[in-house]
Amino acid sequence: MRCGWAVLTLAVFSGGVHAHRLDEYLQAATISLESGRVLVQLRLAPGVAVLPVVMAGIDRDGDGVVSDGEQRAYAERVLGDLAIAVDGARSKPELQSVKFPKLDALKEGLGEIQVEFAVAVHGGGAHRFVIENHHQRAISVYLVNCLVPREPGVRVTAQNRDYKQSRYELEYVAGAAPWWQDGMAWFVAGGCLLLGRLGMLWWKRGHR
Amino acid sequence: MNFVLGRAARTFAVISLSIWEVAAQPATSRVVGAANAFLGTLDAKQRSNVLFGFDDEAQRVRWSNLPAGAVKRAGLGMGDLSPAQRSAAMALVSAALSKRGFEKVQQIMDGDEMLKTNGGNRSMFGKDLFFISILGTPSEKSPWMLQFGGHHLALNVTIAGEQGILTPSLTAAQPAMYTLNGKTVRPLGQENDKAFALLAALDEGQRKQAVLNYKVADLVLGPGQDGKQIQPEGLKASAMNDKQRAMLLDVISEWAAIVHDSAAAPRMAEIKAGLGETWFAWSGPTTVEPGRNGTAYFRIQGPKLVIEYSPQRLGGDLSNHIHTIYRDPTNDYGRKPAAK
Repeated sequence: MRCGWAVLTLAVFSGGVHAHRLDEYLQAATISLESGRVLVQLRLAPGVAVLPVVMAGIDRDGDGVVSDGEQRAYAERVLGDLAIAVDGARSKPELQSVKFPKLDALKEGLGEIQVEFAVAVHGGGAHRFVIENHHQRAISVYLVNCLVPREPGVRVTAQNRDYKQSRYELEYVAGAAPWWQDGMAWFVAGGCLLLGRLGMLWWKRGHR
Repeated sequence: MNFVLGRAARTFAVISLSIWEVAAQPATSRVVGAANAFLGTLDAKQRSNVLFGFDDEAQRVRWSNLPAGAVKRAGLGMGDLSPAQRSAAMALVSAALSKRGFEKVQQIMDGDEMLKTNGGNRSMFGKDLFFISILGTPSEKSPWMLQFGGHHLALNVTIAGEQGILTPSLTAAQPAMYTLNGKTVRPLGQENDKAFALLAALDEGQRKQAVLNYKVADLVLGPGQDGKQIQPEGLKASAMNDKQRAMLLDVISEWAAIVHDSAAAPRMAEIKAGLGETWFAWSGPTTVEPGRNGTAYFRIQGPKLVIEYSPQRLGGDLSNHIHTIYRDPTNDYGRKPAAK
């Protein structure tokens, strides 16, 4: 069957002019910031020339059919190739859904595999979310973007990427910050300590 | 002789009068008139194929940058129409667009015809494979929609009273530079040239803000990404001077003024009102040879606007294969007036 994928690719290649991505695997991540979690939708679009490479990791039994089990197994493998960290600690993504296009669409280089996963984020305040995508690096091009947050009180403060967009860092603030992240709280606490100290000095001087 | 001259003068007067009447008509009634004229050329089966319910969500989103041979379109294909029907269809598209907008559409279609001729794939490319459809009933009051597109073109024009809403629409080109009848044609040349001119007009600090340090290999909000708003990046127009802001508006007009002039004016005013919150981002080479397309990606994003210009690697020459998208994430498909 693998040979079949190669023959098909050659057949499509020999058609002359093409209209869409051929020899790259486009991996586009869209990030949504939600209460208590980061939701990521990964759209995976293999060009026809790299389809045999991608299919080898999907149709593991080589029967030319992508079963539900193979779909889920592939999605889990994709997640396994991601390195995700929240606030400096390694985090495990939880698969939410996987959607495969019709095989014919994939064969024509038109289909898009969609993998949706969530990463838990605890507490409000400032957070740092980092995602590194190592899946099929040799043939892939990447896009990664964060949607404008819909929830009030959530705002993006910084985004950084490497040149290929295979590594992405997102800094954001969600809701009320815990007191130790709040500069004003530290200021007030410092003021109280200072006043207390002055009060003690004044009291001591009065009782000498 | 006098009789012949008299008849010619009468014919000339009638034609002049009808042209004047058409030009003097309000834009919406002109588009509705052209739609009804087109529908009038069709038989019952063709009419049922071209007409869809205004709320037909499946048809509404059935557009793509890909050829109709790869992603099937509904409606009527130009290749299935008689010359008179085809001419009426193109007259409708022309009525909905500005002069420059229609010219751009024709140049994109001419390019696809060249792709067919040069690539030899007749089932995938060419002017015959552009499709027209109408959602709803052409009306001067109730909202309806005209869709026209094929490979590298998707126009979604919602007519709602005096409004003409062109979002989302996709314009693209391959070849993005070709010679036709001895003339060099660049369907998306103005978009490229005006954006490069704006970039060149920025000072070093502004350019540092505008130019992203990463590669953008494709459209982020292309087909299928309706209603999404990504976190903006680049240089904010509020950090530009008046001249630079005017140049930015001029770049934007290459998309916003594809629709007919009466609809483009309020749209440009709306975009201008949100200009302070509009961002300009660039990825790729910052220089270009005059008269040629560059190979850089750029994005313009405002409260009610998304424009992306994305050179494509396919075909080997990024400057000769370009995809662009034009959106209003708050009002794609004219959902706002339609909901009223």
